[in-house]
Amino acid sequence: MIADAIKLELNTTLKTLPQITLQRFVAGKQSDVPISRVDALLDIEGISSMTPRIWGYYYFKPAGVNFSVVGIDAYEEQYSQTLSKLTQQFDPKLLESEHAMIIGAGVKKVLSENYYTDFFNFVTSEGKWQKVSIAGIFNSDLTLESNDLILVPKKLAYAIFGMDESKATDIVVKVANVKEIPTIVQKITERFPDLRAITQDDIRVSYQNLFDYKSGFFLSLFSVCAFAFFIIIYDKTSGLSSEEKKEIGILKAIGWSSDDILKEKFYESFTLAMGAFLVGIAFSLFYVYGMQAPLLRNVFMGYSELKPSFVLPFSVDSSMFVLLFLLSVPIYIAATLIPAWRASSLDAEEVMR
Amino acid sequence: MIVLEAVSKSFIQGDESIPALANISLHVKRGECVVLKGPSGSGKSTLLSLIAGLMQPSQGEVRVDGKEISKLPEHFSAAIRRQKIGFIFQKYHLIVHLSVLENVMTPLIPENLPLHVLEMKAKAVMEQCGIAHKAKMRVNRLSGGEQQRVAIARALINDPLIVLADEPTANLDEKLSRALIDELAILKEKGVTLLIATHDPLFFDLGFVDKIIEIHNGEIIV
Repeated sequence: MIADAIKLELNTTLKTLPQITLQRFVAGKQSDVPISRVDALLDIEGISSMTPRIWGYYYFKPAGVNFSVVGIDAYEEQYSQTLSKLTQQFDPKLLESEHAMIIGAGVKKVLSENYYTDFFNFVTSEGKWQKVSIAGIFNSDLTLESNDLILVPKKLAYAIFGMDESKATDIVVKVANVKEIPTIVQKITERFPDLRAITQDDIRVSYQNLFDYKSGFFLSLFSVCAFAFFIIIYDKTSGLSSEEKKEIGILKAIGWSSDDILKEKFYESFTLAMGAFLVGIAFSLFYVYGMQAPLLRNVFMGYSELKPSFVLPFSVDSSMFVLLFLLSVPIYIAATLIPAWRASSLDAEEVMR
Repeated sequence: MIVLEAVSKSFIQGDESIPALANISLHVKRGECVVLKGPSGSGKSTLLSLIAGLMQPSQGEVRVDGKEISKLPEHFSAAIRRQKIGFIFQKYHLIVHLSVLENVMTPLIPENLPLHVLEMKAKAVMEQCGIAHKAKMRVNRLSGGEQQRVAIARALINDPLIVLADEPTANLDEKLSRALIDELAILKEKGVTLLIATHDPLFFDLGFVDKIIEIHNGEIIV
């Protein structure tokens, strides 16, 4: 359930990511991209728009968390739907004139806990204070994307990161036809070998690998539980305890037939197995969606510094419930009925003895 | 009511066949009280188990109320036990994790009677056996005498035509034994057929006993 919920959020987030992101690498390290490259690349056929981005992480030491700081420009097309919506809500020109920022709900919580309610002092790369007032708080549908986000005017972002205004962190490329993405990527890298193009698919695969790896960790835990369950089942199937055998013998002696005993055993095991199954499912739902999966969630959410504010979206895979049901309830009932049937087919006197 | 014709029973132990009863013939009329006496291991309990249909004879016929219980399908022999026979076991054979009330109700559960009817019948026999005040107590917390009374109440809940009692006083003191004998006398007055396997001398000179049969090494002596 945890994996499903986070996958749902990630898949929705991935859809909003840029089709191609261009990063520059110098000496094997990521470096800022000269904005002049935008004009140089725009003549490649198939590219519909290019947006240089200014962004980076700001480490807030008192809380031990990283904020994602993104620079926005009133005159540029926003590269994601979330940013487009936010720039409609909050005027970037006003942010620039008032030296202000808008922040995600998670950032707001962390700053409030540290007594920053109206403004925040950034420490720039030169070690100077950069006071920025808080103009607003946003709540996006995509909490994973926006929870740790701080939107500042581009000029302010340059100042905070100490970047040259002729450069950008990376460049976001939009193409007219998604089928042409591989060709366009090839053309870009041929023209500028120091640029690395990351496509939406690359990010999806990389997230998928990460999730498969972490899901695998849980699968191994599940395997241990399943193994323990099947040992119990094996133990139950291989024979009844002398107490249980004696009970069956007593029931036969006082007038129960084998059918009556098996019927009773069926009701008993069905009630027990079905009850345990429903309680388990209810507990899981409450643990994951009610309590937000304390402890286990951190295994999946390792990359997010603002973990506590992330809300797992409700996502339930009915086939998983069917599989769990088939793996537990009928098997438990069978494991109860088979030895009971064996014992009830013997003479009562023999079983009691 | 109860007819045994040339009944033998042997138990197989490894390659060996150990005879428990040999060529037993017995007729017990409706409402009669018969005491089976004999030392331990003489075959008294085996005889009662054969009459109740808890085991099959190796040879011969066992008829209860006109039906040959030893040859009936299991479902029908279980119904006869449930509807016509009350069995008081020597070791009580109560279900330890159930309460007194639940133990007493157990024989009638397959009859699918409404719960309130079951409870009403159980309470009536518990009153009769003087154990009603412990109805909700688990049987493993009762004394031996109290457990015996629960076993009797369970045997009587179906208003049986026949009561089979296997060493009913084996674990009781003399006072409780006499109380049990009084209970059996009342049953006899009601017309219930009684078959009591015992080596307790208290049973040998009772006024309501019609017949005393001695068994020794699996054979009827007297």
